Amino acid sequence: MGIPTAPLVTIAFKDLAKSNAAKRGMPLERICFTPHPVWGKSEAQMYEYLEGKDPVSGKPLMKEVVDALTSPLTADESKSGTTTPSVGPPTYVDTADNLQQYFLDNGMTDYLPIIIPTQEKVDAMLKGTSHSPDEVLGKMSPAKGAFPEWSYTVKHAAINAVMAGATPDYFPTLLAIASTGISALFSSTNSLVSAAVINGPVRDKLNMNYGIGAMGPFNQANSSIGRAWTIMSRNFCDGGVCGQTYMGSQGNVVNFSNLIIPENEKDSPWTPFHVQRGFKKEESVVSFFMGFGISQGQGGKGLGMKPVPHFHEAISWNTTPFANMYGALVLVDPLVANGLGDLGYKTKEDLADWLQKNTLVNINDIKTMLFSGPPRGQQIPDGTMIPRFARADMFNFVVVGGQTNPYHQIANMRYQLSVSIDKWT
Amino acid sequence: MNRRKLLSLLGMSPALLADSRATAQQKPGNKAATPDAGQGKITAVNPKGTPPPIQLIPMAPRLDTLEGKTVYLVDTGFHGSDMLLHQVEAWFGRNMPSVTVVFRRKAGPYAEDDPKLWKEIKEKGNAVIMAVGH
Repeated sequence: MGIPTAPLVTIAFKDLAKSNAAKRGMPLERICFTPHPVWGKSEAQMYEYLEGKDPVSGKPLMKEVVDALTSPLTADESKSGTTTPSVGPPTYVDTADNLQQYFLDNGMTDYLPIIIPTQEKVDAMLKGTSHSPDEVLGKMSPAKGAFPEWSYTVKHAAINAVMAGATPDYFPTLLAIASTGISALFSSTNSLVSAAVINGPVRDKLNMNYGIGAMGPFNQANSSIGRAWTIMSRNFCDGGVCGQTYMGSQGNVVNFSNLIIPENEKDSPWTPFHVQRGFKKEESVVSFFMGFGISQGQGGKGLGMKPVPHFHEAISWNTTPFANMYGALVLVDPLVANGLGDLGYKTKEDLADWLQKNTLVNINDIKTMLFSGPPRGQQIPDGTMIPRFARADMFNFVVVGGQTNPYHQIANMRYQLSVSIDKWT
Repeated sequence: MNRRKLLSLLGMSPALLADSRATAQQKPGNKAATPDAGQGKITAVNPKGTPPPIQLIPMAPRLDTLEGKTVYLVDTGFHGSDMLLHQVEAWFGRNMPSVTVVFRRKAGPYAEDDPKLWKEIKEKGNAVIMAVGH
């Protein structure tokens, strides 16, 4: 822009601001810091911050802001040119124990032991695809637009797949995931989570679990595919560095291996998710969701109704805390799906339509919620009940589970995209 | 700034800069495996992707003074940024009243560019204070 600028940042983001400024080409940017947080503070408290000292430099804050805009530049601050960041040597030689520790110490893992990626294991993994090891697979950033994107190849994916305990059979699914550039460790203060819904023949080919315990740690394909996504999200974009490229205030246990959800197509009365998205049933597809996480649906209004519990009412009721900026990803056991079919919801679309029309919220509550807001451009009188979600397609359904009890789980997550797995075989 | 500090800002371990084939460094306090422990050495492959080159951007020339100048206060949209910047506005009113302050909310989500606003600032402003709250 060519105009002197002083960023004013709260101290909780010190490392992020400084490291990202460096990655963006301005390692000496004059960033001024206030105490944290400012959100929730009164005007008087904020003014007191400004009258106080920068907690990083110890200098009077507003004097520092003025100086940042007026004191002459140093030679280093005026530098131009190009630097090439290094990510280290192509290989490391040491004992297995030392290598485990080295990978861990240098942020290349999920802080659990890995399979050490030797060239032999990587070569074996690469046999799981017909694609060239040097093919550029995609670009990834901890948060697109905010951080620079790194690129990576099929070989990089193979290395990370080995580390996570995947087998070559799983590799096309991992390539499909990596090809999207979606990081499972999105940098936000919100401790966001990611989900991958798997549909089509690949589920049975890989012996994925879509029955009892499908979303738990009970299957090698489910577990290692999810874990590999997290490890790739670290190594493909310098992601998951707390304070720099990961800011989730509390973190989320789902980030260990993400929500990997093979749909139980054979026990579902409904159209599989990938077919809803325009793919053929015989295609293998992975579909992505992101958002605020998942909660149980054991309780809920309507579940005590007999003979068929009113699952639709329970699902609606369980969205009560949800923000309307994301939708609802509803994961229903086949018993629930079939019960809903008995109640007249013959398609997922039927159910989404009912939920959108009947999941209502008082406009006054929407106005005071975080990450929710009233419909744009509309004047709605106070006290009016309006749909919590603007569109029916903000409700998505995946059938998963082993029919031991008619339960559902529900996530405040939005759909992103679906991609073919078959093209990566 | 020394090399180690700069690397730290770039999110990289200085240990990663060793040439071609590196011997893994033990973190102080960790017990090192040795050949006596029955372990031979093996070769592991680097799992990291490729970062883009960094184009160093010279900082914009500074002003001699803010007195009589126009300073844009740009709210990026994070919680509390607007309130903080309004207090900055109040501070200038009390302490540097000759400064003209213009408050603007950057369009779009946090990471989205706003070329229209940058154009306006370039035409009408002399300096920017950009707040990132929370």
